[in-house]
Amino acid sequence: MSKKRETELSSLERSEFIVRKERLYGQLLAACAVLTIAVTGGIILSLSGQALTFFGHVSPIDFLTGQNWSPLSNTPSYGVIPLISGTLIVTVGSAVIALPVGLGAAIYLSEYASSRVRGIVKPLLEILAGIPTVIYGYFALVYLTPLLDAPLPIRQTIIPGEFVLVVPSISTFNALSASIAVGVMIIPMVSSISEDALSAVPDSLREAGYGLGSTKFDVSTSIVVPAATSGIVSSYVLALSRAIGETMIVVVAAGESPKMPTFPNILENFTESIETMTVAMVNIASAESLGETVAYESMFAIGLTLFAITLTMNYIAELISRQYREEY
Amino acid sequence: MATESETLQRSGRFQYAEIRGKAFEAILIAATLVGLVALILLFGFMFFDAFGPLSASLEWYLLFFSTLVAPVSAFTLYCRRNPAARTANARASAAVFGGLVLSLAAYIVLRAMSPYGPLVYLITVSSMPLSVAVYGRYTENSYFVGPAMVLAMLLAIVWTFGSEVLLFPLLDAVFGLGNDLLGGVPVLGSVPVPVGRGLLVTAIAVGVPTLALANSVLRRRTSRAGILAVFAVLGLSAAGTAGLDQLIRPILEVLPIWSAYAGVIGLPVTGILALLITRQRGMRAGITAVVAVVGGGLAVVAIASAVSMDPSLWVVLFFGMGVPTAYVVGEAVISDRDGRVGVAGPFVILGGILVGAYLERLLSVTGPDSWVTPTLLTNSWNGLTATEAGAYPSIVGSIMIVSFMALMAFPVGVGAAIYLEEYAPDTGWKGRLTNLVELNIANLAGVPSVVYGLLGLALFQNLLNFAPGLVFSAAATLGFLILPIVIVSAQEALKAVPDSLREASYGMGASRWQTIRSVVLPEAVPGILTGTILALGRAIGETAPLIIIAVPTTTFTTPGGLFSSGAAVPLRIFSASANFAPEYRKGVVAALAIVLLVLMLTMNAIAIVIRNRYQQ
Repeated sequence: MSKKRETELSSLERSEFIVRKERLYGQLLAACAVLTIAVTGGIILSLSGQALTFFGHVSPIDFLTGQNWSPLSNTPSYGVIPLISGTLIVTVGSAVIALPVGLGAAIYLSEYASSRVRGIVKPLLEILAGIPTVIYGYFALVYLTPLLDAPLPIRQTIIPGEFVLVVPSISTFNALSASIAVGVMIIPMVSSISEDALSAVPDSLREAGYGLGSTKFDVSTSIVVPAATSGIVSSYVLALSRAIGETMIVVVAAGESPKMPTFPNILENFTESIETMTVAMVNIASAESLGETVAYESMFAIGLTLFAITLTMNYIAELISRQYREEY
Repeated sequence: MATESETLQRSGRFQYAEIRGKAFEAILIAATLVGLVALILLFGFMFFDAFGPLSASLEWYLLFFSTLVAPVSAFTLYCRRNPAARTANARASAAVFGGLVLSLAAYIVLRAMSPYGPLVYLITVSSMPLSVAVYGRYTENSYFVGPAMVLAMLLAIVWTFGSEVLLFPLLDAVFGLGNDLLGGVPVLGSVPVPVGRGLLVTAIAVGVPTLALANSVLRRRTSRAGILAVFAVLGLSAAGTAGLDQLIRPILEVLPIWSAYAGVIGLPVTGILALLITRQRGMRAGITAVVAVVGGGLAVVAIASAVSMDPSLWVVLFFGMGVPTAYVVGEAVISDRDGRVGVAGPFVILGGILVGAYLERLLSVTGPDSWVTPTLLTNSWNGLTATEAGAYPSIVGSIMIVSFMALMAFPVGVGAAIYLEEYAPDTGWKGRLTNLVELNIANLAGVPSVVYGLLGLALFQNLLNFAPGLVFSAAATLGFLILPIVIVSAQEALKAVPDSLREASYGMGASRWQTIRSVVLPEAVPGILTGTILALGRAIGETAPLIIIAVPTTTFTTPGGLFSSGAAVPLRIFSASANFAPEYRKGVVAALAIVLLVLMLTMNAIAIVIRNRYQQ
């Protein structure tokens, strides 16, 4: 009896070939997944390998604290501070535009808009993120800068003898138009991710607010937005990291003259040409197709700095959003 | 009580709250509008400069309104009322316009590469898996067909493609590395390099598959067919590595060039059509269809030769656009009684454009002074006269880069997504590995594109010693770049497949792979396609990584193959935006930007249409 059952069971087993085949497919697919780790490993290895040889020529302290960036001149100098300040200028400029606008759009789409309006507006906004960045750069250089420059320079006396508002005219390549373009580009990042976070707030919270007699304004600002804070913050961090790594807009529209920032008149920084970390890399790459010079290696050192910054920011955003996922 | 609540409502505090709420809503709407206005400005300015719509006369607008806009709107209204016609319209439009775009893209890429090479590769790469499939149909135990086909295809790719172009640089790199490390110990390095490399490649490519097959045959003591297969593999791989280009290509090059185009485009199209019709209507109809298609192709060649034109383009259009259109239209006319009228949709649009253009010339109506002209799409660049400037080499380069990139990134991305969603365990060290992979993918998606450029530079130029700016390196670099996007969207698509389907499949006794292949993947395909198309749209516009890996920003010749210097439309825009002459700044560059934007928007629209169609 038992023997008969055994044979029946064994006939139900798959043949060895099929089992092996199944295992092979599983392993092939796993190899695909592991390849992504290899990509990260490749990035880290290639960046740090060349960066290490670079730091053999230039000390890391000189690199990180130097105030002059001129890798292609006869007396090269590799101080990254002007590049970091250029990146900061563009990032701050774009953040001023994208963070409030993106959040406003997200609240509108999530709390106020009808589902029909949301269905139309959300994809339209997302187009902004898909436009090739070189076109943004071209737009900023050719259309935005003349538009901004048209009413300039302004010399308006606000209080006679006391205060004169002076806005100088902007140069052809300037940080202002580039930051506006970068800001427009990252609006959908803020609005989409924040909108997801706002929509994820359970309706019971809203209903509780209305039940207490709150207005829609109160519910939006005092209940929904605070409840979605972590999602909003993580969208901010992601958008800023995108702005830091943005290349083509800045290459085309903001020029290539590394500068230390001027204080205290901060706005002046926006009217002039600057150079960001990404632009410095593109400059070296397009000038230097010869091979292993110090300038070539410095490209990888900047790349490593950039990679470290964006990786940290993305990791922070991931941590924050994981935190928020656990809430509901 | 009632009076009290009324007074509460009318109190100043409530009014203040109302005003505050209204103001807040207005601010939110304004914030939303900022993005939309920016979008409109961007498109508006460029559209205006690229097309110059003001320079066209009123008659021109009236003409095209009557030939194109009015009929198309009327037809669209009709289709809205009749769902069957709408479906037929969508299918016919996909066949006509998709076929048109794909055949034109295929034609210009093939023309740049010379079609004989692709034909050789097509024949060698497909003949092995096809013969496996045919053999599998006539044997009882056909469960080996799947892995054997995959294996055969991989091997064929490695032989034909890899032995010539991939393994050689790799071996160079390895031996270079070995020489550096061992201080030049003459192992294989003492053999004159070309001979040594060639021998080694042949030995690897012939020996490994033959030994593997011989091993399995000996262990299982299979029939004579198995032993024959060993010799077949040996012979084929020897032929593959002995330099197909040298052996087969001269034979093929005796044929006229149109037949090479017909081979590359026509063979697969005819094969797929034959399979489809045989499945639906039986063997007989299939054979009739094949005869009809081949006859039609020959007729096209004959007509084109008779009026002494090069038949190549027409052959490609016939197979790439004509045959699919005929299939879709024919099927609708025969079997779709309600939606029959819908197939006229694409022809209304095409006819409207053609009649409009004809009348425009006939009545000599002033059209718009547009920069988007045939010259822009078919000339190479001219830095002095704007009316002569075109971006043909860049367009060909972009198409090549993006299509090879898709070929590389799509299988890997979807495979990784399948592993993460269907296989990966949640617990144990494997679960931790899965977590790591997922976190890693999220981080990779946020790495700036310039950094990917550095990866490509280090990998292909420093390590593998490739020449700077090859189409292959560009495609692979962009492939790394879009990999996380493809994986994430494919994962979303797989997550959306309900578990009940999987459980039903397991309940029927299907294995995991069988469940994935025949239940999960068919359900997830639209979602996967949507994500992939969006990723392709992103890759088309990528510029920074291409500059870093030194793809030339200015080229005057089309890239001749995977391993020649690349070119891309965004690079052309980048280098031309530095030209301050107004007819370039606000003319040619705007037109190029519009071309790129339209390309991207079309891809987005296709992705959205696919998503909406299948997400009901």
